[in-house]
Amino acid sequence: MKKAEKIEIDRRYCKGCMLCQYVCKFDVFEPGQERSALDYLMPHPAKLENCRVCRLCESHCPDMALYVVAKKQGKEKES
Amino acid sequence: MNPLGEKYLRKDFLPFLFCPGCGDGMIVQAFLEAVDELGIIDDLALAAGIGCSAWIPVYMHADVYKGLHGRAIPAAIALKATKPSRKVVVFTGDGDGLAIGGNHLLHGARRNIDITVVMVNNQIYAMTGGQVAPSTQLGSRTQTTPYGNLEKPLDGCKVAMAAGATMVSRWSTAYPKALTRTFKKAINHKGFAFVEVVSQCPVQSGRYILGSGAPQFNFQWIKDHCVPVDDPAKIGEVEAQGKIPLGDFLKVEKPEFMEEVQKMNKKAQEDRAKGGNR
Repeated sequence: MKKAEKIEIDRRYCKGCMLCQYVCKFDVFEPGQERSALDYLMPHPAKLENCRVCRLCESHCPDMALYVVAKKQGKEKES
Repeated sequence: MNPLGEKYLRKDFLPFLFCPGCGDGMIVQAFLEAVDELGIIDDLALAAGIGCSAWIPVYMHADVYKGLHGRAIPAAIALKATKPSRKVVVFTGDGDGLAIGGNHLLHGARRNIDITVVMVNNQIYAMTGGQVAPSTQLGSRTQTTPYGNLEKPLDGCKVAMAAGATMVSRWSTAYPKALTRTFKKAINHKGFAFVEVVSQCPVQSGRYILGSGAPQFNFQWIKDHCVPVDDPAKIGEVEAQGKIPLGDFLKVEKPEFMEEVQKMNKKAQEDRAKGGNR
């Protein structure tokens, strides 16, 4: 099973719509306390260990601010 | 930032001017994924008119034309006619494409010229503040119809099919992978391809028509009210339930306009060489 190394949320572009939290099937995100450069409260990937790199949050991010970095596994290259 | 964005977006124009939770950014991403997989960014020419969705191409590192309200399709036809190897894509909204530019849509489709029209349908005039649009559902309350809309909505896909488009599809922002796949098919299709994308607009159609400005609510509304159908015969059945059918409705091969023009030019030159009457 794939695991995420980290979930990058670009604080320059995030508008805090929280659709990433809504589409996530594994409760990775929760509302965070940090504000983005546009003064919106950003999501925080609190339970990163639940992430299975399905990239639903990435493809549903309306500001292209989110990116899931997968952990390298064995022979697999980093995607 | 998403690596696709790093590669293909104009960074100095960012962040997107779309409202929080708007579906247009998802369409940018789905389209860039299709462009990345096809590797056609250097041949791409994009055209747009006025509206929220007409800002979609402005952020991409490709040749972009942004012109008058509703007049993107004539410009796209010109771009295609002057260099047929170009891949021309028009981004238009439901007001831009069906109301003020409706005539151009009909005649572009009738000509069957090889362009792709992506019509983003948010069921309202969002940029100007939430007025009634040709695609607004019956009975919806908007800024200009405070007691409910009395006009029946216009179905862009059916209009395009009736006018003679050779590829017609409709998907929603809740299906980004299907959207990418359809964009790839539409760009490769030889002829007029019409792709309608049902998109959420939390700030205008959400607040006025659906009753909530929360992006999650609007996204769920699209998920609940858009039903993928695999057989075009089932469209009527889904519409009778008050829902929006999604799917690839039409794909046929017909003579393409620029190829026909080139054939005619060749024939005219041959006739002239033979000393014909014209």
